[in-house]
Amino acid sequence: MQKRKFYDPNQPGAKALRDSIVHGAAITEGTMVAFPTCFPNVTEAVRADESFIRAMDITADGIVYAGTSGYASHILVGMFHGITGMVFDLGVAEGATECAAVCCGQQSIVAAVNGPSGARLVRRPLQPLPFDLIQEWHMWRVPFQYTDLGLSAGRVLHAVTDLGRATVIGVTESSLFTFEIETGTLRTVSEIPCSGRLARGSGGNIFGRDGAEHLWKFDPRSQQLTRKAVPLPKGEWSSAPLLWARDEADGQGALYLADARGTLFRFHEKTGFGSALATIPLSPIGAMAVTFDGRIFASAGDGIARMFCVQPSTGKISDLGVAVSVIERRRYGYCFGDAVVGRDGEIIFGENDDLGHLWLYFPKIIRPAV
Amino acid sequence: MLFRRSQQRILKINMAYDVTWYPFKDKPDADSCWALHTGPDGRVYVAACAESAPGGVVALTRYKRETDSVEYLFDLDTKVDDPRDNGRATQCKIHYSFAPSASDGIMYMATHLSGPPIDLPAYSPWNFWHNKERCFRGAALLAFDTKNDQVLWSDTLIPKEGCRCLLLDEERSLLYALSYPRDHFIIYDLKKRTSRDVGRIGSVNSQALFSDKKHRIWTTDDYGHLVRYDPERGRLDRSPFVLPHTGPVQNGWHSVFYDVVASPERDCVYAVTWNGGAHLMRIWPNEGEWGRVEDLGTVTPPHDLTVPENFYVDHCGGLTFAADGMLYFAASHWEGEFPSNSDAINHVDGPDSPRRVEGVVYRMDPRTLKREKIAQLRRPDASSHYVSRGAVDKHGDLFFGHVGRTPVGFFKVAMPDDRRKKDAHLPLRTWG
Repeated sequence: MQKRKFYDPNQPGAKALRDSIVHGAAITEGTMVAFPTCFPNVTEAVRADESFIRAMDITADGIVYAGTSGYASHILVGMFHGITGMVFDLGVAEGATECAAVCCGQQSIVAAVNGPSGARLVRRPLQPLPFDLIQEWHMWRVPFQYTDLGLSAGRVLHAVTDLGRATVIGVTESSLFTFEIETGTLRTVSEIPCSGRLARGSGGNIFGRDGAEHLWKFDPRSQQLTRKAVPLPKGEWSSAPLLWARDEADGQGALYLADARGTLFRFHEKTGFGSALATIPLSPIGAMAVTFDGRIFASAGDGIARMFCVQPSTGKISDLGVAVSVIERRRYGYCFGDAVVGRDGEIIFGENDDLGHLWLYFPKIIRPAV
Repeated sequence: MLFRRSQQRILKINMAYDVTWYPFKDKPDADSCWALHTGPDGRVYVAACAESAPGGVVALTRYKRETDSVEYLFDLDTKVDDPRDNGRATQCKIHYSFAPSASDGIMYMATHLSGPPIDLPAYSPWNFWHNKERCFRGAALLAFDTKNDQVLWSDTLIPKEGCRCLLLDEERSLLYALSYPRDHFIIYDLKKRTSRDVGRIGSVNSQALFSDKKHRIWTTDDYGHLVRYDPERGRLDRSPFVLPHTGPVQNGWHSVFYDVVASPERDCVYAVTWNGGAHLMRIWPNEGEWGRVEDLGTVTPPHDLTVPENFYVDHCGGLTFAADGMLYFAASHWEGEFPSNSDAINHVDGPDSPRRVEGVVYRMDPRTLKREKIAQLRRPDASSHYVSRGAVDKHGDLFFGHVGRTPVGFFKVAMPDDRRKKDAHLPLRTWG
């Protein structure tokens, strides 16, 4: 073991170094706001050990839905624009301890959950906007509707919607299925071994893992499944959960995919995967999303995750430090399980921890070059 | 009114209690004494911590009555193979983490972090979490046999994190701990030497745990709720109410435990929070679903609420029951405007020179809840208002650990003869 020499804390430069160590630890760009899983000062937050947020989706008008995991699974809605500012616990999914995915339809949401009651889909109407959450409110819970995925299906792993938000496409450990949101019609597309998360490509096709080196492609319109449709790029995929992020604003619907080492690849349906863009120095990546100017923000690393910003055009990676909120709640953020892009390009991270919060991240506005 | 001047007159105390100051003279970098505890042998063990100096390590010391002096037992890094010059955050302190075992004479102790690596001026557990060379190795757990002064074994209690506070359930051979910085609730099985992470509590670390007759473990969360681990349920539950706090600006946030002591009868505990204008309280944990909490009021003077309380200046700790059945504790006291940090830590010339903030020892009768000031803690060279923990040794004398100007040390408050008894330290306090 290498022995180190004593650092004289009074030597020149000591204060600057001390400051960089201490103050360089927390988020160094942008602003993070940890929002509790409640209507602050009005309702109780979800129990700490039932609030691991690993599944999120967002409606076209910026209403966030999330599902929790833990001793119970709650379905949440978060509203942060206009005269809102709340997270409403829509209820506990009976017999569920894990929420694998949340999908926003046109009029309803569907959560994919697991637990003692097996793999199920939970459906309820979208939550209407409240009148005014400064002065008065009128909210109530609507019962969930449940659809069993069948004991033989195993755990439900992930689900996404089609382009029109009419159909949920999901995977269990052993099958690919579709679910018509408004009619509740469940259909098994194929009995195939599945793992990892799904993504909807730029052309509306759904992609999922197909063995160690490929993706399958499913076209929801024709209901056609193409096995080994896309080869995965060279990377570490053996233990990768397939973490995707969509660039909603580039006009092409490009996706980014991270491997187990944190290496990012850009994917487009027409052109396939590009070469490795950059490697985030910590892994695993817990959550990742792309804001409107194309910057990718990701939370990575075990135990105490750090936030990273990747500029795809240059491959430059910035380490933004540990997530910290000093607005609304004073909290360190150590672990995130999913992320969506908000109405105005902010990133909303789901905290995958005891007493998980929804974290709104407002990235730094880039000062234009003069 | 924004500024409320103290109505109390300072320190007209009948000093029937002799106070003696014991600086860690042989450890000049000792800047804090976070842990002071009576061992199973009835002697007082004290952690001489060094959390500021690069490469600082904690030394285990003990009050030696035969010579009326500080006895140095060992530097802790040498016992756990984590040398101070290896470039990692150091084994710099024991932080409310002594836990004595009466049945076998073992004093368990666990270490905490924040001491900088020897070649850096500071350490951040957040910044260096993923740094393989710098990251704190983890809270070291030691089993120290007080019968023959030997470390029987050691282990890593919490990898990469420090131990903020420790508790022993001797009957079940379990240690409970809170980790820092992640604030996780940890259970260590002494028979299997394995640990279990029950989960995160919050961001503001509570500074104390306590147990009740049902082997339930209690602490607090960020918002001043009681948090309870029930071994039968295996989960952490939170009380529906918040602990007493100071209005009108506080709402319970940061009302985490600072110090908790059990009554001699073990039917209730007395606690003080780690917050500005801290409240003393009495908690009856076995009454009702969530116990009964009595607010016993604040323990430091009121002050200008437009200024955030300085946690170093506004402080209460050292809750201890002595042989006379009375609760003793130490709190800071000042007159007039709130003293600054430099006021509190500045050098003073001699024990009789004036100082802006004083450490006062109170004695409270649990039957009447009447408090009286019984002693003033005076070290000759600086203010001595910040007391971390207190203890009573087997002869009945009071001891208080001190945090302040380097080198720190501890105080002995000699009890009048009519307030002593044999084996005054029993029953042992089993949490730090």
